[in-house]
Amino acid sequence: MADILQKIASKLYEGEDEEVAELVQQALDSGLTPKEILQDGLIAGMDQVGKDFKAGDLFVPEVLIAARAMHAGMNVLRPLLAASDSPTVGKYVIGTVKGDLHDIGKNLVKMMLEGAGFETVDLGTDVAPEAFVRAVQEHKPRIVGMSALLTTTMVNMKSTIDALQEAGLRDSVKIMVGGAPVTAAFAQQIGADAYAPDAATAVDVARKLA
Amino acid sequence: MSEQVPIETLHPTIRMLSDEQIQAIHNTSLDILSRTGIVMKNEKARRLLLDAGAWESDGRIKIPEHLVMSAIGSAPSRIPMYNRLGELTMPLEGGNVFFGSGSDCVFTIDVETGRRRKATYDDVYRIARLTDGLDEMDFVMSMSNPSDVPPMDVYIHGFVGMIRGSVKPNVYTANHRGDMEDIYRIACAVAGSEQRLRERPFLMLYAESISPLLYPDESVDKLLFCAEKGIPVTYPPSPNTGGGGPITLAGALALGNAECLVGLVLTQLVRPGTPFLYGMNTAALDMRSAIVSYGAPEWPTGMAAWCDIARYYGLPVWGAAGATDSKVVDAQAGLEAAISIMTAFLTRCNLVHDVGYIEYGSTSSMEMLVIADEIIRDVRFIMNGVEVSERTLAREAIHRATPGGGFLADEHTLRNWKWAQFRPRVMDRSRYDEWAERGAKDMAARANERARRILAEHDVPPLPEAAEEEIRAVLRRRAGK
Repeated sequence: MADILQKIASKLYEGEDEEVAELVQQALDSGLTPKEILQDGLIAGMDQVGKDFKAGDLFVPEVLIAARAMHAGMNVLRPLLAASDSPTVGKYVIGTVKGDLHDIGKNLVKMMLEGAGFETVDLGTDVAPEAFVRAVQEHKPRIVGMSALLTTTMVNMKSTIDALQEAGLRDSVKIMVGGAPVTAAFAQQIGADAYAPDAATAVDVARKLA
Repeated sequence: MSEQVPIETLHPTIRMLSDEQIQAIHNTSLDILSRTGIVMKNEKARRLLLDAGAWESDGRIKIPEHLVMSAIGSAPSRIPMYNRLGELTMPLEGGNVFFGSGSDCVFTIDVETGRRRKATYDDVYRIARLTDGLDEMDFVMSMSNPSDVPPMDVYIHGFVGMIRGSVKPNVYTANHRGDMEDIYRIACAVAGSEQRLRERPFLMLYAESISPLLYPDESVDKLLFCAEKGIPVTYPPSPNTGGGGPITLAGALALGNAECLVGLVLTQLVRPGTPFLYGMNTAALDMRSAIVSYGAPEWPTGMAAWCDIARYYGLPVWGAAGATDSKVVDAQAGLEAAISIMTAFLTRCNLVHDVGYIEYGSTSSMEMLVIADEIIRDVRFIMNGVEVSERTLAREAIHRATPGGGFLADEHTLRNWKWAQFRPRVMDRSRYDEWAERGAKDMAARANERARRILAEHDVPPLPEAAEEEIRAVLRRRAGK
């Protein structure tokens, strides 16, 4: 029994999406519960990926390939998971702030979060403060993440926080910021809850906040 | 689409000399040999040359063109070198480029303490083991003259340390014929037999004349020994500019070429077909410190030139790179190593030695070896050129991409990233916070860690028992027991 879970974890680590999906089905057929498969198979595998990436033993594409295998497994499990077995660690609204069209860094953070089990809502780039407010109202996330690549646009992180404050939503979410010009000091100064210097750290920080 | 003839990839090369320049240097060398002449201290070699058509005047041996040209004609165009397990790992031919360490440093930088100290037998063994564990290193040299063994046995222990520490082919040095015979005995025991050693040589002698134009008895004797046995030898003179050679590179090249060709002629007179690696060393004698500079641009410039001459003769070629005059592993060390390694690649030098030298060749450094290994990997990426094909043009991936959205998670990236990008091992590209968290280490510190890790983890197959027995017998005999 434990064998197949371990196999799921290791195939996920290797990024074998088709094999992971098959193994998840086999595990279900053998009587394991969806929750067990999720926790001790898929998430266990993804945790190892995260650890090894952080240690410098894995590269970004390997993480993305593993995340793809995680999705393949989840597609089999999702219809069977009870609401209480919620597959997500938490909802995460993410976007690049107003005036900034840079997408790649934000996408990387999003993909890493998904790999770690977060359900993400991607608002895209050039996201106005009001759009962040609407998304928080609609999706009720645990965390809002903002990205900026330019010193001229990172000020809009503050405007977004102010808008959330005015809408009375600030205390309902945790706010994370990141991007090349952003520092921990800046995050504190604008009243964000956390800062992450890179995508792998963002996952760790998000897990602590969620 | 049906299968199409692939677009060929251009791999960058340089030429330092035009055909006309090569011809002029060659002609000058012939003049040096037939008009100026050499001083030959080895009687047997003197006889060989005179019997073959050289003559003696003004106390010099003068060598005519036809001797030189027939030696070039009979020398092999390639030297296939094997490792000590009998596998072909270093075919010195065509555009192949192989790197390895150097020989005979007095000092080493202790990898544990960071202190500069006299080298010992253990250093020869350990550096050979490190070199064995570095992917980009193709052959080993002793790197040290061990100070903890009887002075007359230095080269025996140097050789033994190399073959115990590494299976890779080696280039060795020796003091005289007595050393040569003992090393040959041990090598035959490693290979299994004399015949087998000749068929699959895993060792090459490095000996040299003294520039300008002086051929010491023992040096030439070692050369003759290799020719007698038919084992590979290189005999590169060192016409260092302003020292052993004229201050100008062209003169140094003409002299060095003439001097090297004498070695070639001798080997081919003893045994036509003796594998002979052509080359020289053109360091600069520094006009301020009077050291022989291992980081000077004269060396790689000269190397690219004598590699052009070697190709003109159709001979495999020797060179040097990856060394520095710096006393520590610093920016100067990296700079000098990178320039010389890149040149060695661009000129397609077949066997490139001295990798890992610091302090103008007086000191060996494991950190320097590790860093040079990384530089070689980096430059090799450049030498691979730009593959232009359907898989690399990424037509469909570009078509798929969201404007501004990037290719990071695209199938094309996930399928090709491993070979399409260079991934450094020692160079640091981590983000600032991570780098600081890991101890804010510079390149030398990281290279030190990698060297120690390889020493702790890398296993080398032991020598055959017959070889260890031969080593014991040789050392017993030398000790007079």
